[in-house]
Amino acid sequence: MGAPFDISYVFTFLPKLLGTLGTTLLIVGCSLLAGIIVGFLVALPRLYKVPVLKTCSEIYISFFRGTPILIQLFLFYYGLPEILKLIQVDMTRTPVLVFVILTYGLHTGAYMSEMIRAAVQAVDKGQVEAAYATGMTGVQAFTRIVLPQALGIAIPVFSNLVIALLKDTSLAFTLGVMEMTGKAQTLGSLTQHFIETYIALALIYLVISFAIEKLLLLAERRLLRHEKRSTAEIRSFKIHKNWSYRRIIAELGPGKGGAGL
Amino acid sequence: MISLTQISKSFGRHQVLNNIDLTVTKGEVVVILGPSGSGKTTLLRCVNYLEKPSDGEISIGDFKVNCKHARKKEIHQLRQKTAMVFQQYNLFRHKTALENVMEGLLIVKKLPKEEARKRSIALLEKVGLGSKLDAYPSQLSGGQQQRVGIARALALEPEVILFDEPTSALDPELVGEVLAVIRKIAKEGITMIVVTHEMGFARDVANHVVFMDGGVIVEEGTPTEVFNHPREERTKQFLKRITPELNYSI
Ligand SMILES: Nc1ncnc2c1ncn2[C@@H]1O[C@H](COP(=O)(O)OP(=O)(O)OP(=O)(O)O)[C@@H](O)[C@H]1O
Ligand SMILES: [Mg+2]
Repeated sequence: MGAPFDISYVFTFLPKLLGTLGTTLLIVGCSLLAGIIVGFLVALPRLYKVPVLKTCSEIYISFFRGTPILIQLFLFYYGLPEILKLIQVDMTRTPVLVFVILTYGLHTGAYMSEMIRAAVQAVDKGQVEAAYATGMTGVQAFTRIVLPQALGIAIPVFSNLVIALLKDTSLAFTLGVMEMTGKAQTLGSLTQHFIETYIALALIYLVISFAIEKLLLLAERRLLRHEKRSTAEIRSFKIHKNWSYRRIIAELGPGKGGAGL
Repeated sequence: MISLTQISKSFGRHQVLNNIDLTVTKGEVVVILGPSGSGKTTLLRCVNYLEKPSDGEISIGDFKVNCKHARKKEIHQLRQKTAMVFQQYNLFRHKTALENVMEGLLIVKKLPKEEARKRSIALLEKVGLGSKLDAYPSQLSGGQQQRVGIARALALEPEVILFDEPTSALDPELVGEVLAVIRKIAKEGITMIVVTHEMGFARDVANHVVFMDGGVIVEEGTPTEVFNHPREERTKQFLKRITPELNYSI
């Protein structure tokens, strides 16, 4: 199938694909933002054990974790306008990107809420009691004591989620969105150099994933700097400590893989 | 003056505190003794509402809380009048020693930063940690962490400091330094309620010893009364078990 393999096409395709990187990053960025907000809203009733809302949260999470993202995309893209038509809302002119971001935002939100819940619960309860005993309010104890520590603890999982989301956005092309994977499809059909486009595509995803991981690792180090021992011990201790946090998270965390078709 | 009136607490059907009455006068050091499970921790945690008492009244000075109908605001006020030193230190792990002490001053007392800093440094120097201001809890020994915990409690200038077995999580060689700090602040006339198993400390420092068992106060009095002339059989047995070298005669 296609034209004979020619490595030079990889280099001609790279800049062309990078031209659509903006769309991919837009989807990732907006979905992340939505996901974090939704994640918090969904995690709170579970953390504070609010009766009815807690069950709603659990159903929401089961749905988004238990069904393939591709199905979710289709359900939102084709199903939502039908439902909204019943209440006289016309969505025929809504850009596809809105559906895509909505779906990815809600999908990531389900995983984010699990991440937030696990991270908040991993902060030792004694510190919260100490905060109350000091006279802080619930909100103060949460924002000043729990949140800063939970952030550091959550970062390894967050890092996985961002990378998974990045990879998942490659499915948006099925709805006709011209992000990187969509563009690669088109370039492939046009030139018949499919392998080369996919190599170029893989390279770009790889580099971005790598950059995200390194960046977030730096953030994690910074947020967990208080877990280091004195300077002499920094090296061995740091590794050890990160490991133990990562293990906690591996046990508590949602363990998001990647796109599954 | 602090008084607890008819404080009761149940966890489900298990009654842990049964109508406790206790009066603590200003500047007094009260030591609570008792076997494991007698409700000492629970009583202490009821005083600052970390545990919600099922019934009773807590009053500090002319501030009164009816435990059954306590409102959020009252609980908040109650907590501002008390401070607690925990068995497991419970320092804020993402904050340095100095920041741990400053936190309450900034957030609860709303002091300006410079003043909070000055006061906190003075307190850390007082507990012998003037050279560890910028250390995180993970860089401090248990004894040092507990001394930060004490400085954090002192900073709030509470009416009473509640100590729950402040030395029982420490390695034996670190117990002394923490007890020395508690002794020192006891001499300054700070009101404290201390749960401890350190009998020597209780004898020297306490003005008032309370012996609890099974969720009630079995006996209370001066250290001499309780340690040297205990009236109740349960107190005698407890003291015999915990300090076998002393011989309690009637
Ligand atoms: N959160 C809780 N839920 C249920 N039961 C509890 C709870 N906290 C304490 N208890 C029970 O209350 C009783 C008194 O506990 P408490 O911790 O006050 O005892 P203590 O005198 O401090 O003992 P120790 O010397 O071992 O610290 C125990 O029987 C304990 O099992
Ligand atoms: Mg106890």
